[in-house]
Amino acid sequence: MNFGGTPTVYTRPLARLIEQLQRLPGVGPKTAQRLALHILKQPETEVHALAQALVEAKHQVGLCSVCFHLSAEPVCEICRDANRDPYTICVVSDSRDVIALERTREYRGKYHVLGGLISPMDGIGPDQLHIAQLVRRVSKQDIKEVILAISPSVEGETTTLYVGQLLKPFTRVTRIAFGLPMGGDLEYADEVTLARALEGRRDLD
Amino acid sequence: MYLKTLHLQQFRNYRDQQVKFSAPKTILVGDNAQGKSNLLEAVELLATLRSHRALRDRELVLEGEQIGQISATLERHATPVDLSLIVRSSGRRTVSQNGETLRRQLDFLGVMNAVQFSSLDLELVRGSPSERRNWLDTLLTQLEPVYAYILQQYHTVLRQRNAFLKQQSGELSTPMDLAAESDLTQLAIWDAQLAAIGSRVIRRRARVLERLAPLAQTWHQAISNSTEKLEIHYAPNVAAESDDPSAIQQAFLDKLKLRAVAEQHQGTTLVGPHRDEVEFIINHTPARQYGSQGQQRTLVLALKLAELKLIEAVIGEPPLLLLDDVLAELDLNRQNKLLETIQDHFQTLITTTHLGSFDAQWLKSSQIFTIHAGRVLESG
Repeated sequence: MNFGGTPTVYTRPLARLIEQLQRLPGVGPKTAQRLALHILKQPETEVHALAQALVEAKHQVGLCSVCFHLSAEPVCEICRDANRDPYTICVVSDSRDVIALERTREYRGKYHVLGGLISPMDGIGPDQLHIAQLVRRVSKQDIKEVILAISPSVEGETTTLYVGQLLKPFTRVTRIAFGLPMGGDLEYADEVTLARALEGRRDLD
Repeated sequence: MYLKTLHLQQFRNYRDQQVKFSAPKTILVGDNAQGKSNLLEAVELLATLRSHRALRDRELVLEGEQIGQISATLERHATPVDLSLIVRSSGRRTVSQNGETLRRQLDFLGVMNAVQFSSLDLELVRGSPSERRNWLDTLLTQLEPVYAYILQQYHTVLRQRNAFLKQQSGELSTPMDLAAESDLTQLAIWDAQLAAIGSRVIRRRARVLERLAPLAQTWHQAISNSTEKLEIHYAPNVAAESDDPSAIQQAFLDKLKLRAVAEQHQGTTLVGPHRDEVEFIINHTPARQYGSQGQQRTLVLALKLAELKLIEAVIGEPPLLLLDDVLAELDLNRQNKLLETIQDHFQTLITTTHLGSFDAQWLKSSQIFTIHAGRVLESG
């Protein structure tokens, strides 16, 4: 149970590599050490490829000028895809959410990535997010529905309500349902989830 | 329920200590600052995930270490349950039940129940309102674990709203009526969230006090030999005509509107259950200002006994009782009332600096441990 800092047994360049790796999310001292030693064992071409991939990704990947999803082009693939429904926009807080929703293969509309959630404690207000751009998009184009797909945390709720209020004059605004996981047994669902599921109930068609 | 074993690793001043409980009553004897209260605190943490002594988890970890662990085996409804809590100086916690890590700490609550009674609780009557709110919240968390989630959500909204108000009051002190429309929209949303979650806190607090008050009243009468009448009043900061959720929310929003200028001026939230009070009244007189020392002791004892009974009624099993250095604070009459109630019904852990104050019968039926410098020694 004893985790010390980086011992001084590493030679300087190696210590520096471990330190850099350790700054990555989810990487602790042990993983950083394992990764660093692995990299050192690789042929130099491999290591070059890795370094180049890192720098190139950083250089080339920016934000789509329409939806703010990560993209190497000025306009991302999803926004350019003519087969997708241009009248529906799904609003998410982060590019990771786009990737998760895409995996479902259920959604065929476009996206808008806010780039975070309203959180006064962290100094994040609506102006720090891509909300104005979203309102412009919805007000200028013929949008039939905006789906808000934001986590139901305190900050997510505030962001959902805020964006919803701004968009309501222009189009139909919906939010995704929260409730029981598939295959979940009602009896074993916790109170919080169950209460949410009850709140979001709907008529049987 | 019955706590069978406790294992402390790098917790407070314990390096690695196993404790086996073999009697319904355990007396922990030792000088001050040897680790008696730390042991009780470990049990309190397993029951509530809260400590009334530590502000940060860093304090809970043995000095010089990063990580500490409390594990226990509990018998509940005649079934053994293994519980473990890992605390880190970074503040991150891991809870597990029967060897399985729980994704949410919420699921850990309510497995073990304990009522803590320490000399600090004597502050319950005379101390600030926050002491009474804390007491009430700790009890509620054990009875309705989901309350921990509601309360945490409330505090998040509160902190966010306070940060927002502070920003507003800092921004060239624009009066609210001239502020940007988007700011007004945002404030209205924080208001709505505060009122929605706050009213859930209020309703649950009102409900638990309603159940606790008659129990406390009965005990109070018994301890004071029917000479005194106790009343417990919940004094919520937001008072509503009825218990209806929408009525409370409306009252909440009305009061926010009423205090809007003051809130904007002070840059902080002035309305809500974080300003609730619980009033104890003895013979029509507020105990906080006018109660004598003796009356206050009777009152706290009655509250603690009521907690025991309420938890037992709700959970269906007697909770543990943790008496931290408190017997010496009670006179013989009150001690006897307490000991009579406990009998062998509630498993009880008692800390004391000397055994002199204990009844001989008690000593005979108790398991006695000596605590010295973070070590627990069984002494016959």
